[in-house]
Amino acid sequence: MNEIASHRHEPAGNLVRSLAITARDDIVGGLLKPHVYGRLGWLDTKRRYRRTVLGPFWSAASLAISVTALGSIGVGLWRQPAADYIPFLAAGMIVWLLIQSVLTESCVTFTSNPTLFRQIRLEYSVLAYALVWRNLLAFMHNMVVYLAVYLAFAPQRLGLIQLLILPGLAIVALNAAWIALLLGMVCLRFRDMQPLIANLTQITIFVTPIFWPPDVLQAASRVVFVTLNPVYHLIEVVRAPLIGTAPAFENYAAAITTALIGWTATYLVFQRYRKRIAFWS
Amino acid sequence: MVRLIVDNVHVAYPIYNSQQNMRRALFARTIGGLIQSETRRPNVLLVNALNGVSLDLMEGDRLGLVGHNGAGKSTLLRVMAGIYEPVAGRVLVEGRMTPLFDTMPGLDGEDTGYENIVTAGYLHGMTHAEIERKIPYIESFSGLGEFLSLPYRTYSSGMMMRLGFSIATAVDPEILLMDEGIGAGDASFAERATKRLEEFAGESRIMVLASHSEQLLRKTCNRAALMQSGRIMALGSPDEIFARYRELPHAAAPEPVLN
Repeated sequence: MNEIASHRHEPAGNLVRSLAITARDDIVGGLLKPHVYGRLGWLDTKRRYRRTVLGPFWSAASLAISVTALGSIGVGLWRQPAADYIPFLAAGMIVWLLIQSVLTESCVTFTSNPTLFRQIRLEYSVLAYALVWRNLLAFMHNMVVYLAVYLAFAPQRLGLIQLLILPGLAIVALNAAWIALLLGMVCLRFRDMQPLIANLTQITIFVTPIFWPPDVLQAASRVVFVTLNPVYHLIEVVRAPLIGTAPAFENYAAAITTALIGWTATYLVFQRYRKRIAFWS
Repeated sequence: MVRLIVDNVHVAYPIYNSQQNMRRALFARTIGGLIQSETRRPNVLLVNALNGVSLDLMEGDRLGLVGHNGAGKSTLLRVMAGIYEPVAGRVLVEGRMTPLFDTMPGLDGEDTGYENIVTAGYLHGMTHAEIERKIPYIESFSGLGEFLSLPYRTYSSGMMMRLGFSIATAVDPEILLMDEGIGAGDASFAERATKRLEEFAGESRIMVLASHSEQLLRKTCNRAALMQSGRIMALGSPDEIFARYRELPHAAAPEPVLN
């Protein structure tokens, strides 16, 4: 067709724009649509309220039960005073629940929404951001348990230091976004990955200092399960301010390094396989 | 200025079916070394859904896509919508584009009709103010009345179609892409929908409609394309194309090739 030939050398975006977009366009373009992922994430949360009395507070309720049960055991097991151990456990569990649900939900970032992106042109990253937002909203619900525990056991720990929760959450969210995108793609292509991730997630809770204080480990095992454990640092950047202390510099450094490495890997995979996502679903 | 150019587009679907997929991928990596050509994957079935399709649509073109099942009509629409990226070739667009395929995206059963209108509007790139302005049109056109305040899951399939169609045509699309868009509604709605499409067609924009309904295509389209095995076999007036279509043997979808 002649018309096509005459337009072939036109710069795209001038008169006619090409439909092909790059990984960068997707990641940045998606981020610039907070009204879309904000709404998707909010509606998911709202749906949990529908036809239930507690709604999303069910997760807070089960958290309260776990803290009570595990707290009673832990006080005896680690020979720590309840006023120290229970606030430590509650803070760790809240952050862990956030990371755990990001990990498990990331596996279905794309598999749970096939109609969305097979019916409409949408930045794939929007789904990852919606996942992060939804989980941050759930985190805020769980903070009810945090407040109750701290008012009961350690009111003196509450103060301005808690403001450091915000940068901590920002770092966790930055990591959650690449996890949602990367695991979303991997689990969409390889359906074996989802049970594997679920399995690894379950083990992570035991090998990471959440139930047990990091100081009980010494020497080599401390290096492996604490110092070199990225999940520990991710938890610590939020847990330390929850407990009422500032995170160590190494916690921030490790959590930010994890984000940089994760985003680099995700970007490379996304750049190469983004076009295939629609076909994998 | 509205324009839609499809330039020598090829699309191939990979079909992954094997349960040993991951094992094979890992295994292939070990024996194949680090540099593994993507096309050298054994046991991945490729279906060539489009083989070099070119089209140039301008203002006022209302193209009907005609062809047997599996001829590539839906794939072509999805490539035009930017949902599938072509293996080779490209698609160039000028104008606001709205796809309406089998269902509306982002509609959730637990949300009410009104909530879904806002979500779908956002997904279609509308602002909140634009959506607010369009709500009266959607209310009257869909004829759903009080049902718009009820959860979407309580709707019948015809009512769901009504809502989807009303939202898609409310977006003020300059380019409307539809796949078997109407037919699920009852007779009175189908009539209104056809009329809306005619109106839309009269507003000198671009429309691409894939349908098996000769009557609908004759009413709403001024051009038609006959598709077979992922190619455009003929382009012409709806009359010519339907004459050619009826001569076609009942061919099936393109043969899958083992790559």
